[in-house]
Amino acid sequence: MDMETSEPTGAETDSYRRLNRKCMLSMYITNGITYTILLAAFILLLIFVPALRESTFSIVTILAAAGMVLLLVYFIVGPRIYYDRYRYMITADKVDVRYGIIILRHILVPIERVHQVEVSRGPVNNMLGLANVNITTAGGVATISYLEIDEAEKIVERLTELINSMLRDRE
Amino acid sequence: MSEQGLRLHPIIIVENTIRTAIGLLVLIFVAGVPLDIPILAAIAAVALVVLLVFYYRQWKLTFVRFGETDIVVERKTLFKLKKTIPYSRIASVNLNRGVLNRLSGTSKLMVNINSGHNAVRPEASLTFEQHLADRFRNDISRHIYRGEMPSFEETEQMVRFTTMDVILHGLFSVSTQQTIIGGFFLLNSIVDQYRITVGEADAGPGGTFISLLLFFIFLVLPAVRHMIYYYGFKVHRQGDTIFLEHGLIRTYKTSFRISRINAIRVKNTLASRLLRRSSIEAEVVGIGSDDGSGTTRPLISLLANDAKTQSLLQELVPEFIYERQAEKQPAGARRVLITEGVIASVILIAVMAYPSLLAYDAFSGTGNGIIGALLPYAIPIVTALVVAAIAYSVSVSLKVREVDTGEELFTFVNGILDREAVIMSYDNVQMVHVVRGPLARHFDVSSAQVFLLSSMGKSMISSGLFPEDRLEKIGNIVMERAAAMKH
Repeated sequence: MDMETSEPTGAETDSYRRLNRKCMLSMYITNGITYTILLAAFILLLIFVPALRESTFSIVTILAAAGMVLLLVYFIVGPRIYYDRYRYMITADKVDVRYGIIILRHILVPIERVHQVEVSRGPVNNMLGLANVNITTAGGVATISYLEIDEAEKIVERLTELINSMLRDRE
Repeated sequence: MSEQGLRLHPIIIVENTIRTAIGLLVLIFVAGVPLDIPILAAIAAVALVVLLVFYYRQWKLTFVRFGETDIVVERKTLFKLKKTIPYSRIASVNLNRGVLNRLSGTSKLMVNINSGHNAVRPEASLTFEQHLADRFRNDISRHIYRGEMPSFEETEQMVRFTTMDVILHGLFSVSTQQTIIGGFFLLNSIVDQYRITVGEADAGPGGTFISLLLFFIFLVLPAVRHMIYYYGFKVHRQGDTIFLEHGLIRTYKTSFRISRINAIRVKNTLASRLLRRSSIEAEVVGIGSDDGSGTTRPLISLLANDAKTQSLLQELVPEFIYERQAEKQPAGARRVLITEGVIASVILIAVMAYPSLLAYDAFSGTGNGIIGALLPYAIPIVTALVVAAIAYSVSVSLKVREVDTGEELFTFVNGILDREAVIMSYDNVQMVHVVRGPLARHFDVSSAQVFLLSSMGKSMISSGLFPEDRLEKIGNIVMERAAAMKH
């Protein structure tokens, strides 16, 4: 696996792990598709709604165009920041994820509370051999995104093992 | 009881038919289908017969079995269903009597499991003759409470609320936002009516009716609904179980174990605060019923004065009382809130400047009443009000929001107009997020989001802005306690 850092491999670690660099490519492709659709919609609106080109709505058009430029900057810069900041750690007791581009989030999920674990893959991630692990608790879902498929499968296996052993202990 | 099981009381055929028929009538009315009265009557008669036959067949082919370890509900219709509810998973079993139940001498037995999924509806809603429903409730309770049979019998500890308490609760528990909107429409209808009466304005289409209607929708209906729902409110605790009884038209008898409470909320609205009254809600999963009350958290105390609220907390949920050492938001939070407030206000004013000019040109000299007179200035007025609201919320947030981390419990105090103190147990926290936006990072503060299982499925409770290590402590304690429980 193409790990950038010297942190230990495996589904259970005592230090934070980073994502594979391919996550940036996945985000760039997704952002590119999203931006193309938005840009096409914006251009079509300008062509087919003449009122938007009139002076009354010029401020709205300028604001929308400025929004499109800001979004482009976000879509270009965002993946790199996301990759640089993303850290996750799975211990015998907890799942710990730190991520964020503008707003930083630190998620802590006790293994005790995990009900269900699943691997999900969208078309872009599928193409790049990446997957997300969705960890469901009774209070919501935490996701570890853009993992290599093998790593995602290992994490699911490990979490399932931990949950099962916990349930066995309870019995 | 046959081998197949027990049939429900046939009154459900009538109940289901009436409910579906009303739904269809509303659908026809909303869709605005133009139909002659004779055709409509014929369709209604045929629909009624079809519905009666459908629900009769459903009743005939639905069986319930109360086994040693579980309840099995089996429907052998075209869409077959076999639902098995193990007693070990049942969170509560409650009785509920509507008008039809009272007329037919029946009760609805609501069986709820402890799950966030489908939390606002019971897993099974079973209608039986009243004595049978009582007996089944007792039998199921024996399984849930392992022999320690709780009962609704009145005890000396029973706390009763008077009809005046119920009326005050109905009037002052409606949210402040709704009260303000409702009050505005009432005022507008009075001014409109005055202007029409003295001949200053013509009665437009609908006259003052629409404003009055909105006043009823926003303020009167929720207040009356609360009064009907909580009429005759009684609460008591016996052992580890809390019992609630209330309702005017439909009566509710609810019980749940203390261990099922994930959090306690002590709440007050602006109006109730002026009267120095607060209510207490419990976040309990698995007490939903399918008549609309499922979206309501169980109240364990109506609005009561501070002394009574404290004594009820002590009496009903002492497990949620601890020595609190509340901490207000630090200076960093003040800077974040003020900066955010200023940025939001500047953006709002900039965005609203041009539309304000357009609205002035468009609405000058049109309309009646307060709304008519204010319409040309509506956008600047609303903008100024929003800016004032932002300033007010910043100032109140700094005064009100608190966090407090005890050994077993922790508390978030939130709210601008309507306030609540949420007391949570670390052991019931499902997940913790510590969140920092760019401004919060600059001023070295964070906010926490705590995810719990709640009566509405799941709920997220946010804190104010506090130092990151203070909030990380909550997550760390949750992890430590969860790990200790595991081992």
